[in-house]
Amino acid sequence: MLDVLIGLCILLPALSALLCYLARSSRARARIVIATGVVLAASSLALYSRGSFSYTPDSILGLKVNLLITAADFALLFIIFGIGWSRRSPLIMLLTVLQILPLAYFEFKMVHHVEVTPAFYGDDLAIIMNLIICIVGSLICIFGLPYMEEHEHHLHLKKSKQPRFFFFLMLFLGAMNGLVFANNLLWVYFFWELTTLCSFMLISHDGTDIAIKNGSRALWMNMLGGVAFVSAIILLYRNTGNTEFLSLQYLVQRHDLSIGVLLPLALLCLAGFTKAAQVPFQSWLCGAMVAPTPVSALLHSSTMVKAGVYLIVRLAPAYAGTNLSIMVATFGAFTFLTTSMLAVNMRNGKKILAYSTIANLGLIVACAGINTPAAIVAAILLIIFHAISKGLLFLCVGTIEQKIGSRDIEDMRGLYNRFPTVTRISIFGMLTMMAPPFGALMSKWMAIEAASHIPWVVAMIALGSGLTMLFWARWVGLLVSGAHLGPPEEEGDESSLKALTETLAHGFYSRKTRWKESLAIKVPLLTLAAAAMALSLSAPWAYGRLMEQRVALAGNLPFTGVALGATGDAGSFYVLPIVIVSFLGYSFAVLSALKKGHRVISAPYMCGEQSLDLKTPRFRGPLNLWTDYTAANIYASEFIGETKITSWINIAALVILILLFAVAAQ
Amino acid sequence: MNMENILAIALAVLLSPILGGVVAGLDRKITARLQGRYGPPILQPFYDVLKLIGKEKMIVNQWQILCAYVYLMAAVLTVVLMALQSDLLLIFFVLAVGGVFLVIGALAAPSPYSQIGAQRELIQMLTYEPLLILVFVSIYLVTGSYKISEILKFPEPLLIPLALMYIVLGYALTIKLRKSPFDISTSHHAHQEIVKGVLTEYSGPYLAIIEIAHWYETVFVLGICALFWHTNIPIMVALVTLTYLAEIVVDNICARLTWRWMLRHVWSAGLLLSFANYTWIYVR
Repeated sequence: MLDVLIGLCILLPALSALLCYLARSSRARARIVIATGVVLAASSLALYSRGSFSYTPDSILGLKVNLLITAADFALLFIIFGIGWSRRSPLIMLLTVLQILPLAYFEFKMVHHVEVTPAFYGDDLAIIMNLIICIVGSLICIFGLPYMEEHEHHLHLKKSKQPRFFFFLMLFLGAMNGLVFANNLLWVYFFWELTTLCSFMLISHDGTDIAIKNGSRALWMNMLGGVAFVSAIILLYRNTGNTEFLSLQYLVQRHDLSIGVLLPLALLCLAGFTKAAQVPFQSWLCGAMVAPTPVSALLHSSTMVKAGVYLIVRLAPAYAGTNLSIMVATFGAFTFLTTSMLAVNMRNGKKILAYSTIANLGLIVACAGINTPAAIVAAILLIIFHAISKGLLFLCVGTIEQKIGSRDIEDMRGLYNRFPTVTRISIFGMLTMMAPPFGALMSKWMAIEAASHIPWVVAMIALGSGLTMLFWARWVGLLVSGAHLGPPEEEGDESSLKALTETLAHGFYSRKTRWKESLAIKVPLLTLAAAAMALSLSAPWAYGRLMEQRVALAGNLPFTGVALGATGDAGSFYVLPIVIVSFLGYSFAVLSALKKGHRVISAPYMCGEQSLDLKTPRFRGPLNLWTDYTAANIYASEFIGETKITSWINIAALVILILLFAVAAQ
Repeated sequence: MNMENILAIALAVLLSPILGGVVAGLDRKITARLQGRYGPPILQPFYDVLKLIGKEKMIVNQWQILCAYVYLMAAVLTVVLMALQSDLLLIFFVLAVGGVFLVIGALAAPSPYSQIGAQRELIQMLTYEPLLILVFVSIYLVTGSYKISEILKFPEPLLIPLALMYIVLGYALTIKLRKSPFDISTSHHAHQEIVKGVLTEYSGPYLAIIEIAHWYETVFVLGICALFWHTNIPIMVALVTLTYLAEIVVDNICARLTWRWMLRHVWSAGLLLSFANYTWIYVR
């Protein structure tokens, strides 16, 4: 049974990818994508219910799996070399050669046969990652079906490029599943490079100049991570002389702090940083937003960048208690602070989301570096909540963009009056990123508690957290900004409970304007929103369960500072009342807002004679003319303009990275 | 949920607005005297709120009502959590969500004054929130816990190891209480070029809700100050009174400033003082 489930998770997406590529009609493709999504979600849930496992496949169709992966590895690298060649990019070719030659030397000269058992290993972290990939990832792929139809309709393509698009989308899911379950570092490396290739193909999908340019940048930055990965593997073997160290589980449980292991660990962290788009590598993820929305949603929420943080969190016990760990925490916190700052400066909605993603990944990296059981649990919870909320938000912004033809948040002023349902889901998504009792904020709280004994880390997280609050609050405010356009008091008595459910489903006074959208867009949006709500409600229990296992392990691992985060004693106990009280509070506020009664709708104050037309607030200005007003956000460009500070941030980040390696090589 | 907790919740919910209102009344009286006026009666804030509640309900945007109520709920919840001696960071986040909704409500109304007020309020929040977190972290570094119940068991008054942090807290609280010179988002006077800013479009009963929420916040602020001398009640009361008097004096002697100055000055001063105090904690 286990082999079937793992096989489904990894190989089924690859098979579906092929079918999608061959399928002629978009209808057939839609069926394949939806069916794959359902099967993937079901098998990931089945794996979840089984609990942790380890499994070693013997052979596939009579071929040794090891051999297959090695062959595929080189094939992949040659494909990337070919891409570099056709793009005339010496950098990509160089970085590929830097992987092919050492890898060939390692595989054929240094060791002849790396047998790692178990080949696949699933603990709570891997299983949670698998759930995110299979459920959130599949929902995004399903959302992509109508979105890409509309997208190509806008582009007036002669020949649909959708087969290729869904080929890589599906392949991506399979590669991610392989990555989180693989235990052999060489296998992890293969899947790692496969995600790099998929993301490159998807980013440059539209084929415009900017798409190709940004795609190439994503490729070379991630290839840099690949070089670090190969070097780590080789160093690990050379310094220890033992192929057992190529098993992730062995590496983590052995907890060997000799220099021979620390330097490779630092290199693996560097690989993780590139993939998770930490500063100074943030530009590839920001550039990736030229791709169609499902791609951004997938890259940001459930795949790619999550692979980076997965590796760092996975390795956390291996470097616990070292200075390397503290440097990782510093680096993550620095990324959190600086990218939050950049997000405040953005007026492009997708870029705000991109920087916020990088910031949250930085926070996850910081948690991994803080390396107490509570911090690791906070990191895992952040991975979950961020995947869901950010997936949701990208899908919302994509939908909005197709409606209004702009990503600028200033153009989203008063969107609530025009598209109430999508706007409401977006607002909900934003609240899940910043407000209690939702998971993202609760995880941030745990992170701050866990970071308390490293003053500079906690200071950076505190400043960054204030900045995060600012750009979310501002965006929500813009969405609801505008005149009151609801119809006047209508049908009289309605129970308040019905009013609440009606509002949750359709919004204030929007009962007459129904939500017109394809089902394949509605279902992912609503499912993700419901998941964000449900998971936040169940966060206390999830916390308790994850914590138990970590504390049990903590007995034989030296953790820096306090053995337990301050939440450790009663965290799950007092979060629950807060969850209940906040939901009661929000419901009370919604009900009060909906309560029928006498109310005067007035025009906003303009400090002069004002127009009686409520829809367009104007006042009588000079020369007796009606005058409009405009207001805009403070973007603080004179302090934190993106072009102005990015290079400084990159230099500072490089310095931290150099220090990190200096500490590891000590 | 035992009897004690229920009593604490009831006291927090019922007594805080009374205390907060009286403090507001005293504040107005003392301010008037400082300015050479006679000033309103001490109970004037209550009269004001009662009058506001009786007024006609007027709104520009439906969301304002929701936001006013969330602001109130958040303020009540912070005080209740404090009465239950809960986690400081948790209290902070609940407080923050109230501020966020106040801003959303102001942005919902398409009035240039409330829009500018909202932007300024955001900058104010950005300025004080990190400082408040740093203060709470410093309390943790000294006492080893974020829970008020544990902090109260600490044998020594916190003001002694955390003297510099008290100044940082002073900055944060002046901004939170919107005292001059940090009243840029909503001011009682015209000296910030916008009167009432973020509250421009709130009127009648909804303004009353916000007013009451502000009383709760005042109590919260005083409670945080009280935490710095928890070992002796008379000294605690004296410390809180002195701090509030100092706030009033500062409020009356300071002129206007811009958000740029505020952000730059308060962050650099706050961070410097915090790190100095952190070093002092480690040295001790």
